[in-house]
Parts: sequence; structure tokens; C-alpha cells
Amino acid sequence: MKSFVRDTVAITEKELKQLRRDPVSLILTIMFPILLIGIFIVIVSAFSATTHNVPVVVADLDGTPASNALLNELTKSRFIHVTQLVQTEDQAYQAVANAQAIGAIIIPQGFGAALATGNAFVIVSTDNSKLTSSTFVSAAVNQGAQDLVNQVSLEGGVNFGLKLAPIEVITRPLSGRPPSGDPILPGFLGMIAILGGFDDIVNAISRERERGTFPRLTLSPVSLFAVYSGKMFATVVLTILRTALMLVIFSLYGLVIRGSLILIFLTTILIAVFTLSLGLTMSTRIRGSATLTVLEIAMTFPLFTLAGTTNSPLLLAPGGRAIADSLPWTYGNDALRRLIYLGAGLNAIAGDLIILLVSSLILMPIAISLSKRTM
Amino acid sequence: MSVATFLSDSIAVAENEFRQFRRNRSAILISLVVLPLFFTVSLGAGQGGTGTTFSPTANIPIGFVDNDNSVASLRLWQTLTSSPDFHNLVQSYDEQAAIAELGTKRIYAVIVVPKGFQSDLENGNQARVILYTDDSEPGVSDQIQSTLTSYVQNFDPNAEVQPHLSQLQRQSVAGVGIITKGAVFAGFNIGLTTVLAIVQIFAGFYEIAGGISREREDGTYARLMVSPIPIGSIVLGKTMFDVLLTLIRTFTVLGISVYGYGAKPNTDLFTLLALSLIVALVTMGIGFVAASLKLGQRAVVIIEFFLILFLFAFSGLIIDINLLVGASQIVGSLLPFTYAFDALKRTILLGRPLLSLTFDLEYLIGSILASYAIALVLLHISRERLIR
Repeated sequence: MKSFVRDTVAITEKELKQLRRDPVSLILTIMFPILLIGIFIVIVSAFSATTHNVPVVVADLDGTPASNALLNELTKSRFIHVTQLVQTEDQAYQAVANAQAIGAIIIPQGFGAALATGNAFVIVSTDNSKLTSSTFVSAAVNQGAQDLVNQVSLEGGVNFGLKLAPIEVITRPLSGRPPSGDPILPGFLGMIAILGGFDDIVNAISRERERGTFPRLTLSPVSLFAVYSGKMFATVVLTILRTALMLVIFSLYGLVIRGSLILIFLTTILIAVFTLSLGLTMSTRIRGSATLTVLEIAMTFPLFTLAGTTNSPLLLAPGGRAIADSLPWTYGNDALRRLIYLGAGLNAIAGDLIILLVSSLILMPIAISLSKRTM
Repeated sequence: MSVATFLSDSIAVAENEFRQFRRNRSAILISLVVLPLFFTVSLGAGQGGTGTTFSPTANIPIGFVDNDNSVASLRLWQTLTSSPDFHNLVQSYDEQAAIAELGTKRIYAVIVVPKGFQSDLENGNQARVILYTDDSEPGVSDQIQSTLTSYVQNFDPNAEVQPHLSQLQRQSVAGVGIITKGAVFAGFNIGLTTVLAIVQIFAGFYEIAGGISREREDGTYARLMVSPIPIGSIVLGKTMFDVLLTLIRTFTVLGISVYGYGAKPNTDLFTLLALSLIVALVTMGIGFVAASLKLGQRAVVIIEFFLILFLFAFSGLIIDINLLVGASQIVGSLLPFTYAFDALKRTILLGRPLLSLTFDLEYLIGSILASYAIALVLLHISRERLIR
């Protein structure tokens, strides 16, 4: 037992020494978190921007005070920018078809009169190939119409046959935090653990095989189990460093971490160890380090969706949800979210951690056994 | 040098590439099977295809606490439970106990109908419904809130049975109807635009830049460079090889998307193939530039990863470029892939003829020419250094 621990420590030291001597891998370890957070900031700042200038054209076919009031509300919108007022409905549609505008808003003839009876309508045509901008146009028109309704309802004596929505929904988030893109940050931490784990396996096995040092290592008087344990401990050390770096970035970004730091580190370590176990299994079949990296990166991208990094797996189609439920990473990301965002304790995430641990315990012996066969 | 010699040299290089490719089983598997299959299936499973109509909120367990116990609150409960969007509504009698369940994964939201709900409605006041959500699940809170709002803003407490409202009617504000027009995309069409581009970028970059790096590491690249074959023939030969792989991958992605997930592209096969090739050629051009920088295989793979991440953020894949803020919008507008995604969306989703997208095509072809020209110059310099 004593020699096993000594061998494991020796292999761990060797791995860390090798990483220190490999500037590309070292930079990669630091760059992954920074790049991922950079991308998050770009996306979130776009979504949470207080103003957007989505170009729209408006055809006011009514020309009454009521339609003017709506037009006024639309021009005040923080999301759309009325670039042109056109004379006909066709001109408005044509502007969208020619990509001059993302939306066309048509206030039909008789709008003012219909407003008095509560039967008014507006037509919104959007370029739905602009997936996010088109929703901003719809939301802006909805808001403009709502503001118009509120405005005329508040004006004493003028009823216009309008009514407010009968019921208001007041949302109270469990975390008590204001709505933001922050809930996806814990998932990013999970992705860092996954990417790091995959990168470690490429460094640990495939590159050694390519250099011819792996057979030498296995022929040395060190048990194969100690070799793998050593490599795993190196991953644990690196995961702790990566997690610490991510948590520092989170803090700088202003995210308040509510859960226990020890549990956060434990979760990322278990995610990395599971990834390492899977990578070890794959590396027994795929020998080239570049091929293995390509395959692992190709696997990583779908995980952004399927393992609940950017969106909850609850919102996936049934097929996707079934895949998500069968991926141990989903449970890791889930545990991280509840730890960091809600401040959950061990009892709340124990099930997730057990799934990760058991998956690793199943995969690791398979990897060692397959690895022995290939020697 | 005559054109015939130039072409025969290019074909010889392409043949050599194919021979090497044929001998590498894992390269065949990754390039032609794993990448197209993996990306298409994973995105298709996540989004659902034509046969899959699903409401994101339908199966999410949600608690419902009725503190009013009135006819109106009962009708709200009936409206929600009979809707296609709330199949997993669990009635609870204790508000605090229900809220305590949040964050445990047993329920993800609690709808509370407060006391006075019916009297507010009777008196013509705006009634309130309180929605507690587990906001640690990204997107779930917003989804439940918007679905619930769409039901309650058209709720009529006097009607025993609520009229069935279409999606459009539910989006309308009380008093002003909003008729939404615009193309509605069938099945997996949006997914197809993403997968088609990403697969070509992912595979194309690795095949060109990674292939040259592998040759460099094996020592065969130097031999190829000092051979009497012109650089142009080497580049053209490798391009011809990858063009064929691009076509095979396009058919694979299209096959899975159309037959597996019911995608119905609003354009013809020629346009799809042409756009796929253009995306691949842009990627190959950048791949040649990367290869001329003498990068190792590992560095190529890392750059590839960063490139794809970069595209996700800046080229309109996740968020439209016109919504990007400040410098990121300028970066996005400079990327040729932004125009490639735009062209794919406009043809596949909206059915625009390819030739009508003049600016997109001009920018893409310009980028291809520029990147190939830069790569040729850099490769030429590297050959000169090698010979000297």
C-alpha cells in the first residue's frame, strides 16, 4: 500500500512537471476559462443590453390620432428603431424581404375606429431567419400596444372599449437574484472541468504513446493501477487550479457564490475524474493524440446543450432530455448550479455526486482492462 | 508551366491525399461518420424534429397552491391543467411547504393564487398570481413565466370553459390584437443551417491545417515542398480532396436532417451544395493560412476549438449580429462566416435564391480569394526558406 501511494505521488509529480514544461498545454489550461467567460460576456451583454436598434419599417394606413399614438409608442421603444415610414403594406413587406428591415409593422386602416370597440389589431411581419432580433420586434410591438392600452385607460373619460390584462403574474425567483444570465455560469465551470479532463487524458496517455514513453512507463516496476491513479491525481490537482481560477473570475464578474467551496471543488473534481475515465476508455481504441482531441472536442460542443450548460435539460425535446438524463455530466452541472446559485448543501446534491462517482468507478476498471489488452 | 501539367500535378496531390485518407480508418470515421452524425443527432435530439411537437413546460413538475378557494381560482386551475402546456401541475395546500420543495428537483415552480383573487376580478381590479421559480435552472423560469402569462392575460373568469386560443391570440395584448406574419420553419430547418456550417468548418479546418501539420510532423511535407510540384498545385490538390469530402458530408447531414428529423429546406439541392462548398472553401482558405504558420497538430486542434467558440459568439449562431454590442459587432461583421450563416438561413429558411444574396456571396468569395492568396504567399515563402 505504501509503495502504491509512493508510486502514485511520483506519477502525479511527473505529470505536473511535464505540463510545466509544455507551454501550449499550460496556456490552454489558463485560456479555456478566460475564453469561455469572454464568450459568455459577449452573449449576455448582447441579451441584457438596455437598448437595441433592430431596424423596422412602419406603414400607418390609418393616419388617425390613435394610430399616431401607437406609432409614438413604437418610436419610444428601446429595442426597435423605426428606420422608415412607408405608404403601403406591400412596401413594408418588401423592406423585410429585401433585408432592409427585420420587421414591418402595419397599422391597418380603421385601427382608430376599431380601438373604440376593442377590436383593433396590428400586423407584424418579421424576418424570422434573424432568430433573436425577430423576437425583439414582436416584444416591442406587444409592449407598444400594452402602453397604448394603459395610456388610454388612464386618460379619464376615454374608454375606447379597452381593458387591461385581467391577471398579472408576479415572479419571485428562489435565489432572490435579479434576472440575469448568471445561472449559466456554473454550467461553464462544469464545461471547464470536462474540457480540462479531456485535455489531461490527451497529455497523459496519447502523447506518451506517440513519444513511446508509455510502454516504458508500464514496463517500469510500477503497477498499472498506480500509473492511472497518478495521472488521475494530476487531473485532480489541475482541476482544483482551474476551478479556483474560474471562481476568481466569477467573483470579479460579480457573481455571489452561495454554496460551500469544498463542495464546489468536490463536484468539479468528480466531473473531471469521470471525463478522465471516459477519455481513458476512448484512448485505448484511438491512439493519435490529435484524433482523440478532435473527437473529444466534437463531443464537447453538443454537451453545451445536452448537459445543461447553457439551458436547462428540462426544456429539451423528449429525445434530447433522455440523452441528457443518461449523461453523468448533466448531474454534475446541475449540482454546480444548485451549489453556486442557490447555496444548496450536501444532502441536496448527494444524488448527483453519487451518479458521477459510480459512473467513474464503472468506467475506470473498463479502461484499465482495455488498456492491458492493448499492450 | 502549362495548365495541363498544373492540373495533372494537382490531381496527383489529390490522389495522394485520398490514398492516405483511405489508409486511415479513424480519419474516415471521424470525418465522414462521427462529425456529421454526432452534431446532427445531438442537435436534432435537443430541438426535436417534425414528428415531435412538444411544449417545453408540459412535463415540468409545477406546484399549484390555491389560497383563494373560489370559482375563479378553480377555473384558472382547470384552464391550466387542461392546456397542452401544464401536464404536470401538482396541487398543494400549504404554500410554505410547496416553496420549500423548490431547489430539490421535485418541483421547479409554484403558482400561488392569493386570497382575494376572485374579488379583485369581480371588482374590475387587476388580480395577481404569484409565481415562485427555481431560477437555478437556466431558461426554465422565463419559459414558465411567459407560458403562464399567455394564459392568464386572456383569462375570462366568467367563462366556465375558456375558449381555445391559438399561439398568436395568446400573444396578443388585451384590446389590441397582434397578427404575426413571417415564415414559420418546418421541423429541423434551423438546426440544419447550424449543423451544415459547423460540420464543414470543424472537419474542413482539421483536414487542411491538421493534415499539413501531420505531414510536417511526419517529415513528408518538406519532401512535398522541395518536389517540382508548384505550390498552387499542392493547394489545389488538397482543396479538390476536401471538396469531395465536403460533398459527402453535406449529403450525410442532409440525409439525417431530412429523413431523421423532418427538415424541409426551402431551397434546391444545388444551392445547398453550393453554399456548403463555399463555407468549406472559406474554412479551407483559413486552414491553409494556419498551416503556413508551421503549427503543430495539437495547436491546430486547439485553434479549431477556439475558432468554433468564437463563431458561436460573434457570427450570428446564437445571437443575431445586429444585437451584438460595441466592438463585438464590428468583429462579427468582419467574419466571413457571419455572411455564410446569413446566406444559409436566407436560403434554407426563407427560400431566397442564392444569386439574390449578392453582398453575402461577394464577401464570401472575396474572403476565399484573399485567404488563398495569403496562404499561397506564406507557403511560397516557407518553401523558399526550405530550399535555401
